[in-house]
Amino acid sequence: MLEKFLKIDRRIIFLLLTLVLFIPIVKPLNLPIGAVSVDTKKQATAIVRHCFKKDLRVGVITFIAGATGLIEEIFEKVPQEYRKEYGKDYVIFPYQADYSAVLTQMGFDLYQIYDKDKFGTHPKNLPVMQGIKSYKDMGMGICITGTALLDGWVAFAGDKFKFPLGGGVTAVSQPGYGPYLQTGQLVGLLGGMKGGAEYESLLGIPGKGTSGIDALNLGHFMVVILILISNIIIIVTRYF
Amino acid sequence: MMLIKRYIPLAIVFVFGIMTLATYYIPPKLAQDYYLETMNKWINIVAAFAFLLALLSLFYSHYNKIKRKVDGWGYSIFVYIGFLVVVVCAIKSEGQLMTGPALTSLGWIFRFLYNTLSASMFAVLAYYIVSTAFRSFRIKTLQAFVLFMAALFFIIGKVPLGNVLWNKLFFWTNVSISQVTDWIINVPSVAAKRGIMIGIAVGAIVTSLKIIFGIERQYMGKD
Amino acid sequence: MSETWLIIGGWVAAGLTIFIFSFLYKDNPFFKIAEHLYLGAGMGWWFQVMFYNIWKPKVWEPVKILVNGLQIIQSYHIWKPEFWKAVWTAGDWTIFIPTLLGLSLITQFFQKISWVSRYGFTFIMGYGAGLVIPVSVSTDFMTQILGTIKPLFKVGTEMSWASFFYTFNTFLIAFGLVCVLIYFFFSAEQKGLVKKASNIGIYFLMLYFGAAFGNTVMGRFSLLYGRFDDLYKYSSVKYFYAAQIIAAALAVYFILNHFISAKKSRAAQDNSGS
Repeated sequence: MLEKFLKIDRRIIFLLLTLVLFIPIVKPLNLPIGAVSVDTKKQATAIVRHCFKKDLRVGVITFIAGATGLIEEIFEKVPQEYRKEYGKDYVIFPYQADYSAVLTQMGFDLYQIYDKDKFGTHPKNLPVMQGIKSYKDMGMGICITGTALLDGWVAFAGDKFKFPLGGGVTAVSQPGYGPYLQTGQLVGLLGGMKGGAEYESLLGIPGKGTSGIDALNLGHFMVVILILISNIIIIVTRYF
Repeated sequence: MMLIKRYIPLAIVFVFGIMTLATYYIPPKLAQDYYLETMNKWINIVAAFAFLLALLSLFYSHYNKIKRKVDGWGYSIFVYIGFLVVVVCAIKSEGQLMTGPALTSLGWIFRFLYNTLSASMFAVLAYYIVSTAFRSFRIKTLQAFVLFMAALFFIIGKVPLGNVLWNKLFFWTNVSISQVTDWIINVPSVAAKRGIMIGIAVGAIVTSLKIIFGIERQYMGKD
Repeated sequence: MSETWLIIGGWVAAGLTIFIFSFLYKDNPFFKIAEHLYLGAGMGWWFQVMFYNIWKPKVWEPVKILVNGLQIIQSYHIWKPEFWKAVWTAGDWTIFIPTLLGLSLITQFFQKISWVSRYGFTFIMGYGAGLVIPVSVSTDFMTQILGTIKPLFKVGTEMSWASFFYTFNTFLIAFGLVCVLIYFFFSAEQKGLVKKASNIGIYFLMLYFGAAFGNTVMGRFSLLYGRFDDLYKYSSVKYFYAAQIIAAALAVYFILNHFISAKKSRAAQDNSGS
């Protein structure tokens, strides 16, 4: 009888999860609230805000073709909040294909690769790039990624050129960066959505991610409860 | 023919491998001026062409499906439709997502089509994580129990409700759940991940040496 | 973009999201359409990124400059040194090397000349292998070992819980790493002490994998939550109830499909029975 329960149609579990996540959206339950932000895009937004708040110059590069759209979405909004201008306070460079070659080249002379910005102007003519030629002219690099690109940054940019690096990664890969943090190969790391939100609250910037928290609360407990139920059933059927 | 089909390519891999390897150990200025700068520019361009391989092989396989009218060949047409829609919009918008505050057609495609599809595809995985957790997460051994406990700490540590519960139940330990998860990340995880990293590094070094010396040449295909 | 286009966008986004989620009930044509569209659109997106970021500025434009530059040479005679000097200075001729190497990769698809692609591949592989070796030695090998071999005691600190904990953790990392490495490298024969150590190594790995798994759940849920949030937005009157209408239409499809296929299978049974 109980064993049948273990073999239930997985679609019933799917339906359960849908309800657990969807109902709180329609009808908030007001469970304890903490800030949870969405993903690496949130991390990137928080970091750009921080840089602008501190009046730092920002240069953006990417090696993931799918990320170019996200970059535009971030920079369409955030610079206005701090009255920052393209070319004067920040610059966006075009996508490049081979990260190992580009990261190596940026240690010597980045203009050999980035001879044009996203709009086709020569970056040397932009005020934001004055006095910047290679890593040693920059304060630090921050790599935000949903892939293993951060490893490439550590190896090709950080270690080789003694360039201070920070990272923002998805939650699943966060535990894997303990070794680089311990050796100082990474100076800081944001992990997943919680990282982005914690960073935002440290900066005193109100994140808007609080609404999702009910759903995530319930969803997480559902996973734990399902694992426990299935294992209790097994123990019960075996020993009683 | 053997010369241009096999020996020259093998010579290329050897020469470029050794020269690139050497640049790490000679003064950077020298390496940069005479070799690396050019190579970095070239490799970046060659790598961009590698994308055409993926594109053409996708087109080719779906073209074959349509030509042979295999089951469900009609769906293959949508691969071409998707491709054309994005490319036509990109040409119309010259690769820009926004013109000033207004969305271009490429921006529209990105937001409502491409981004929606990729987010939905990955979101579906959440369902499978949950059903797998129920159907196959079996705590039969002590090792599985350790894995479960580590996962449990992280799952409940990530949400406020879990924090509240932990503080109610375990206030007497004087340890917060984030201290526990931090310890797992900073101590046992470091040992485990470092072991994996060293293993991978040794593997990568050996494979790279094999490639340079022409022992490993599967990537060259058959003669 | 006008308001109308945003509403159409809402319908498209709601529709595609629901089509993809419909796979959870069962495989169906609408999911297949969305899936193939995703494949094509993804390739299209990559293609335009490659085109506008690399092929156009780094290949096409230098070639165009070169071609324009070559127009001067018409005024020189071919036997004059000025002619060849003009040819040489017309532009950057080296651009053809990576371009041809890149294009050589495509010969992969033609069996007879597929060996040409080896020139491109060996170039990429040689450079990559040469770059990876020193970097792996330093970043993931030497630095990691140096990071593990640390003094167990902090000099000049007094005995306290904190300093004890520090010593304990430092020791645990080193001990765990040795066990994990034994687990990885002595996979053939494990007896006695080696077996014990490698067993302990597994526990360290389990703690790491558990942490990664626990963290994944969070990431996936917030993505899913994001999709639901969008659907909720598109279910409003502003979008003319896009989400509800599409979901209802799909439900009708599944119900009809259920009855039709039931009828068909009954008919097939009757046929085979008679």
